[in-house]
Amino acid sequence: MNSFKVKKKILDVITHVILIAVAITCVFPVFWMLSSSLKTNEEIFKSISLFPEAWQWSNYTEALLKAKFGMYFLNSLIYTVVGVSAIVLVTSMAAYAFARLEFWGKTVLFYLLISTLLIPIPGAFVPLYLLLKSLHLLDTRTGLLLCYISGGIAFGLFLLKAFFEELPREIEEAALIDGCSRFGIYWRIALPLAKPAVATLVIIQCLNIWNEFLLALVVLQDPSKMPIQRGLMVFQGTHMTDYPLLMAGLTIATVPIVIIYLLMQKHIVKGIAAGAVKG
Amino acid sequence: MSKRNIVIALQTLCLCLAIFMVSGCSGSGSAKNEEVIKVWHWMTDRQEAFEKLSKDYYDQTGVKVVFETYAPTDVYKNKITAAASGHLLPDIYNPQSDKKELASYINAGYIADLTDEMNTGWKDVFFEKSLIANSFEENNEWGVKPGIYGVPLDVSSLMIYYNKDLFKQAGLDPENPPKTWPEFIEAGKKLREAGIQPFVSGFGEAWLIGAFAASYQWSLFGKQGIIDTIDGKIPYNDERWLKIFKLFEEMRDNKMFASGIVTMVNKDAERTFATGRAAMTFNGSWGVNVYKSMNSTLNYGLMYPPSLPDAKYPLLVFGGDGSSMFVNAESPRKDKAIAFLKWFTQKEQQAYLAKETLNIPSNKESADDLPEILQEFSKSITKTFDNLPKLEAWQVTNYININLQSVIIGEKDPAKAVKEIQEEKLRQTKV
Repeated sequence: MNSFKVKKKILDVITHVILIAVAITCVFPVFWMLSSSLKTNEEIFKSISLFPEAWQWSNYTEALLKAKFGMYFLNSLIYTVVGVSAIVLVTSMAAYAFARLEFWGKTVLFYLLISTLLIPIPGAFVPLYLLLKSLHLLDTRTGLLLCYISGGIAFGLFLLKAFFEELPREIEEAALIDGCSRFGIYWRIALPLAKPAVATLVIIQCLNIWNEFLLALVVLQDPSKMPIQRGLMVFQGTHMTDYPLLMAGLTIATVPIVIIYLLMQKHIVKGIAAGAVKG
Repeated sequence: MSKRNIVIALQTLCLCLAIFMVSGCSGSGSAKNEEVIKVWHWMTDRQEAFEKLSKDYYDQTGVKVVFETYAPTDVYKNKITAAASGHLLPDIYNPQSDKKELASYINAGYIADLTDEMNTGWKDVFFEKSLIANSFEENNEWGVKPGIYGVPLDVSSLMIYYNKDLFKQAGLDPENPPKTWPEFIEAGKKLREAGIQPFVSGFGEAWLIGAFAASYQWSLFGKQGIIDTIDGKIPYNDERWLKIFKLFEEMRDNKMFASGIVTMVNKDAERTFATGRAAMTFNGSWGVNVYKSMNSTLNYGLMYPPSLPDAKYPLLVFGGDGSSMFVNAESPRKDKAIAFLKWFTQKEQQAYLAKETLNIPSNKESADDLPEILQEFSKSITKTFDNLPKLEAWQVTNYININLQSVIIGEKDPAKAVKEIQEEKLRQTKV
């Protein structure tokens, strides 16, 4: 074996060792979650084994029943589907307008909208609460959804505007000559071409809305409207945490988001490679 | 299915979901004609016990009470703040605040004065200390009308738990834990010699290290001495403050602290003690429930923080207050809310709550039915700190706690630590 091949082999081994180490650090918390979801509370604290002594499958049924996951699951599904659809629709239209149309105050308005990214959600609790109260939208699904949608607009705008600006103008000009309207160009040409960026936006917003619960707890009071994360709260007390049920609940809550991620994974890689997130 | 059909199907789905959502726009759907008392609480692990009691109350009186629990505590606090600014507070709640903030809620008219109700004999059922924590004294610095404002649901105190098996292993008598400081240090030495970490606590949480030190503050200064310190009449570089810091130095020099104690949160400290990796821990009465869930066979006892032989005043412990509830002064159901809380704090209901949650009930008559270890805790309630009419500036308190941590890790010596606190005190006085 010549020295080049030896060098390459050594480099490969080092690269793989590093990658395996990084992969383990990423996968281990998931493995711990799965393993703990099948243990008893005492076993989690007393045993250092990664595998349960006796597999407590009943933790899953208990978590499902105790946390009323069925109802919360449906709510989260609604919030995620409607919220993400609205964010994609609104932000893609706005981003296209910012990328292609010329109007007075465009730059200022864009940066004004983007600057809302800097406002942390807890800092906006009180004004949002008062706003929703005056609109009679407190403790309503619509009120919560409007908060989610407005919260996702800045990031979506930031992401999609950059993508639309990169699209070749010639295609759009050809469509214009053929008699296509501005909206037609957006709907039939720009949006389909922006699929990788939209996929990135969808997965990020799905994660945000699916995992969000601070705002939901403040805005909603009726338990029947709460999202799935509220169900997990049942297992976390001020001083006590029921870890096995919490981990079982987390596993259940994680499944849909993992499925979405797997379905969209191909597009996200494309989106990032195509510069969707370069801003 | 063609692409067009998929798009149409998706659009229809979105429309259906939107209609479903809008249909839920009519606010909470509780029965319009029925008066419901709403309680917001932060302990989600008590939801089942609360629901059982509210069902009993409904069966007895026909008044419906709904407990809504929100955790974690900071989210609950945010919800209360937002609701207060919108005048939408529930009938019963707790602002989860310190005395200063509580005073601002009272002064803003969000919390009802319960003094008259309490004076009808209601207050006699409670541990005196639990009421003090919910009261405001004459001439308090926040200008609140003197009186009782909160209803204690349970009480708590902080003591030292010790592992009897580890004590035995180190040749110590598990039935006679150390009572004085020299005995405590001696026990620590023996434990360390036996390869056991003597002492653990969540000293990464400033309030916990402060609570431990405060026992010695009360023991060396007494109530008036503490007030005088707050007023600036006694400096922080007083000999007695130096002594308190030297206690921590002595513990450090005798290797009593568990490794990483100054960055340890209480959850980790609880785990360390529950799994037998430390022999003693300074923790609250809630630990009984926590240790049971982590290790049901843990063999432990309770002791007071060891007393100082030359102290002028009795050693008191942090506590007295637990979780309390306040009645919304703006609520149209104020009287019904008070009636419910009266029922809720009676012996039978309190005994049930204590049994289910392993906490010390605020009703002293229920304490007799508690497990032995909680009975010991309940006895300590009479030995908790007194109410103070004023509080030290938080910046100074923060400095004390941080400097205690610095002494533990050997970053500062006690003399330097107290000197710096006094400098901070002077800075704050000038401000």
